[in-house]
Amino acid sequence: MKAEMQQSSRFTLNEISRKKLFTKEVVLRILLYLGVFLVLVIVLAPYLWMVSGSFKTSLEIQAADVTRPDLEPRWIPRTFTLENYAKINKTVPMLDYFRNSIIISLGTMFFSIIISITAAYALSRYNFKGKTAVTLGVASTQLFPGIAFLIPYFILFTLINRYFGIQLRNTYPGMILTYTTFAIPFSILMLRNFLDTVPREIDEQAQIDGCSPLGALFRVIIPLSAPGIVAVGIYSFIMAWNEVLFASILTGRATKTVAVGILEYITQQQSRWSQMMAACIIISIPVLLLFTFMQRYIVEGIVSGATKG
Amino acid sequence: MGMLSKAKGTRRAYWFILPAALCMLFVHFIPIIWGAYISLLDLDVYTLTQWTSAPFVKLGNYIKLFSGKFAVGQRFLRSVYNVFVYGLVTIPTGYIIGLLVALLLNRNFVGRTFVRGIILLPYITPDSVAYNVWRFIFQARIGLVNKYLLKFGLIQEPLVWLVGKRALTAVIIASIWKGWPFACLILLAGLQGIPAELYEAAKIDGASVWQQFKMITLPMLAPVTKTLLLLNVIWNFHAYNQFYILLGGSVGEAHVPSTFIMQEAFTNLHYGMGSAMSVVLMILIVILIAILLRSKRRASYES
Repeated sequence: MKAEMQQSSRFTLNEISRKKLFTKEVVLRILLYLGVFLVLVIVLAPYLWMVSGSFKTSLEIQAADVTRPDLEPRWIPRTFTLENYAKINKTVPMLDYFRNSIIISLGTMFFSIIISITAAYALSRYNFKGKTAVTLGVASTQLFPGIAFLIPYFILFTLINRYFGIQLRNTYPGMILTYTTFAIPFSILMLRNFLDTVPREIDEQAQIDGCSPLGALFRVIIPLSAPGIVAVGIYSFIMAWNEVLFASILTGRATKTVAVGILEYITQQQSRWSQMMAACIIISIPVLLLFTFMQRYIVEGIVSGATKG
Repeated sequence: MGMLSKAKGTRRAYWFILPAALCMLFVHFIPIIWGAYISLLDLDVYTLTQWTSAPFVKLGNYIKLFSGKFAVGQRFLRSVYNVFVYGLVTIPTGYIIGLLVALLLNRNFVGRTFVRGIILLPYITPDSVAYNVWRFIFQARIGLVNKYLLKFGLIQEPLVWLVGKRALTAVIIASIWKGWPFACLILLAGLQGIPAELYEAAKIDGASVWQQFKMITLPMLAPVTKTLLLLNVIWNFHAYNQFYILLGGSVGEAHVPSTFIMQEAFTNLHYGMGSAMSVVLMILIVILIAILLRSKRRASYES
């Protein structure tokens, strides 16, 4: 009798604790989704504000006033307009800047791939004197703040123009050279890590089959390391697209990139927020597209670069 | 390489590296060394094209910076102080948010892959887009921040965010928003590298969730945490875009070394002084990184 009671009470206890566990699980789930929702709101709010601003009339934004409930800035435009997109080139020559950015970023991407694949190949496959020094030298460039070499670099450009008559400032080649050099240290290290995972037997076999070392590199190694090359190319493109510091000093009307051109919407006289938001969206598109398509490669590259390097 | 003579292979390796080496020599190393030399000159816009005739002032620029008697020196030290404050707030906050979200994303839920893609948005958005949007958000009369602060009764009148004493706070908030996803990405990769058996063993031993976090998760994340810290410290002293863009070029009280050097060199056209400040900034970075690397090495000896 007593034993029976004990057993039944134990049974109910079990039941209760299972129920408790179940409610605890449900509460945890709800908290999890609430947390995720909160994160999404914080991440996305500025983007929603940018999109909403780009569809507002400049009048609406200029007249807004946080202290007056009837005029307070709203998420939904009071009057919906596409004018900011249609007249993207009107106040600021944004399409010209867009073209400049495309040319400079593609050029950077091209040269950065070529230069870093050969260097990475040498670092991955050959043993030579000064290899550690080269690797350290490459990595050390990441330490220096851009401003530290901007001043002498600017003076160097000025002097080259004076003594050799070669204008590098405000030219595409000058900017591509600059950005290629910014992109190659990280690209070399990333590609070297990638090439280290490609077995050496493959290029040895190619050379036995009669390929020259350069031929082996181009015919066998490059196709095999396509994902790494894609990642490096996109990294270089995005870097050139986004760079501000050097662009603000070294580019002028003829080569100004979107990253600095966009600042022209706000002047002492006028703040054209709605047009600026529309331009913000337009200039984000190439970066977002590249990133979305190649997300896996880039994330892998960044993560392995940060955890192994 | 068995079939090739060693010397030939070595020579080829140098050829392969040459273009990269030349680029870096031209854009990085020559300017850095030359910059150190320029910092000993009183080089300004008048002497720029005849730069050999610029007065050689030896350590004059450095003395000006540290004697405490010159406005430029005081303002530079102030900018160094600002960048320390900026880093001491943004780096830990970004890390904690990144870690919390990484723990969240390490669980299974509907739409996890989607959310993981979305949180990378701030990281990949161009600086000039992100900080211009935040500049819009921080506007006093038309901005979102003041709208909600007023609505919740936290302030009575709109605050001026981007000029004066609140400018640094505004930059810090926007930078944390932009910076935490990178920490999250790296920490998430770190979390996924922790073997599940460790947690199972701990559960059998009756460890609470907090104990598991303290005894397994944190120690296992130590290597990525150190890498993150190293990268963030380096990037902290490079800070330029967030200040320049968010504050619309008029940085005022909130100057950090990069913005201040930029102003001194390219607005006031004192290239020599600008170079001297750059050299100080580089030395500062090198010292901090050396300290970090040394403590990192010591920690790995101990474990």
